[in-house]
Amino acid sequence: MTQPVPAVPPATVATYVFAVCRHADGDVLCRLPGISTAPVRTLPFEQLHAVVQDVPAAEADRQFWTERLSDPDELERYVRAHHQIVTAVATAGPAAPMALATLYSSEERARQALTADAARFHTVLDRVAGRVEWGVKVYVSSAATMTETDRTVAPARVPQAPGAGRAYLERVRGTHRAREESRSAALQAAEELDAALRSLAVAARRLRLQEQQLNDCRRVQVLNGAYLVDESQTARFTKAVATLRRRAGALIELSGPWVPYSFAGEDGAHGDH
Amino acid sequence: MTEVDYRRAGQLPGPSTSNLADILERVLDKGIVIAGDIKIDLLDIELLTIRLRLFVASVDTAKKAGIDWWETDPALSSRAAHRELVEENRRLREQLAAPSSAQDPELHGDGTAAPGANEDPPQGRPSQRARRAEERPVS
Repeated sequence: MTQPVPAVPPATVATYVFAVCRHADGDVLCRLPGISTAPVRTLPFEQLHAVVQDVPAAEADRQFWTERLSDPDELERYVRAHHQIVTAVATAGPAAPMALATLYSSEERARQALTADAARFHTVLDRVAGRVEWGVKVYVSSAATMTETDRTVAPARVPQAPGAGRAYLERVRGTHRAREESRSAALQAAEELDAALRSLAVAARRLRLQEQQLNDCRRVQVLNGAYLVDESQTARFTKAVATLRRRAGALIELSGPWVPYSFAGEDGAHGDH
Repeated sequence: MTEVDYRRAGQLPGPSTSNLADILERVLDKGIVIAGDIKIDLLDIELLTIRLRLFVASVDTAKKAGIDWWETDPALSSRAAHRELVEENRRLREQLAAPSSAQDPELHGDGTAAPGANEDPPQGRPSQRARRAEERPVS
């Protein structure tokens, strides 16, 4: 008993928006998988192009996406597919990436909403044109937040001699003070690194510190920065990172160049305050 | 298939950096937010999923370290970066306040008197060099 596959009328198709740009290479985009089986294509509006993909109307549903994205493997698949399209769009010129799961019930609805925000897109595209985002993460060793005195104050080994109690308390006090100081020093070092890198960037943001150090308790993240850098300054920026890495007693990770995700939204609208 | 694991970075095409956490924090948290027809609370998804992932991956490590951030993480109630920083500081402070006697208890237990705070470290670990550099007077 074969069931006929019903034809899908246009009204049952929703529109997913990946990014907005001024120039898109349709030949490249249509070869990328995106998030559904439909081809990735462009949707022109207001002298701009939205890079979109049709998705089944059944997927234009909050519950569907919440469940889908709550599965770690599915989330990763969607996030990587979205990121791949955004990155591909940016190879042809400035790109304004949309947040994940920007969905409209029809192409016409998408066009309306995009048109209403055209001025914002122009602003963002102007801001990111010719610029890339670099991510800089700074870690200090957990051991760096311990001090030499931490290791030498062993309560079980306090000698039983007159004055030893006071000496012990002094050492404990010194230990606490030293811990406070080294903690401040680590945060201070992060501030200084951030300031040095900001001076080479057009704009900078502090991203939320990541929790990954739990995988490696020997290091603590003290800075997770995003820097918008002119492409012409890229070499200077990466060189500065290399210099700071040599100089600082901290582990510095550089990632990028990224499409300027962190600088696409309105400043202060979300993220940093 | 609901297996939770870390995929090897660099498997998929794309930019040179494909660290999943880095991509997640940008694709989920950044980008332009415009009024969509379907309102999906990405914050909920991000927190639940990412933290679940990290939790599963690191629960053993975390337990060993006595860390219980999943009970107190401020990001579960607020995404404000400064709140996060405050919390991070608090956690850092807690780590610093945790007893260190479990670490190398025998390191200085060979009969030598407990050295003073200004002793030279036996070996110049990078962290110690950094600390000492910090202590240099700025005049």
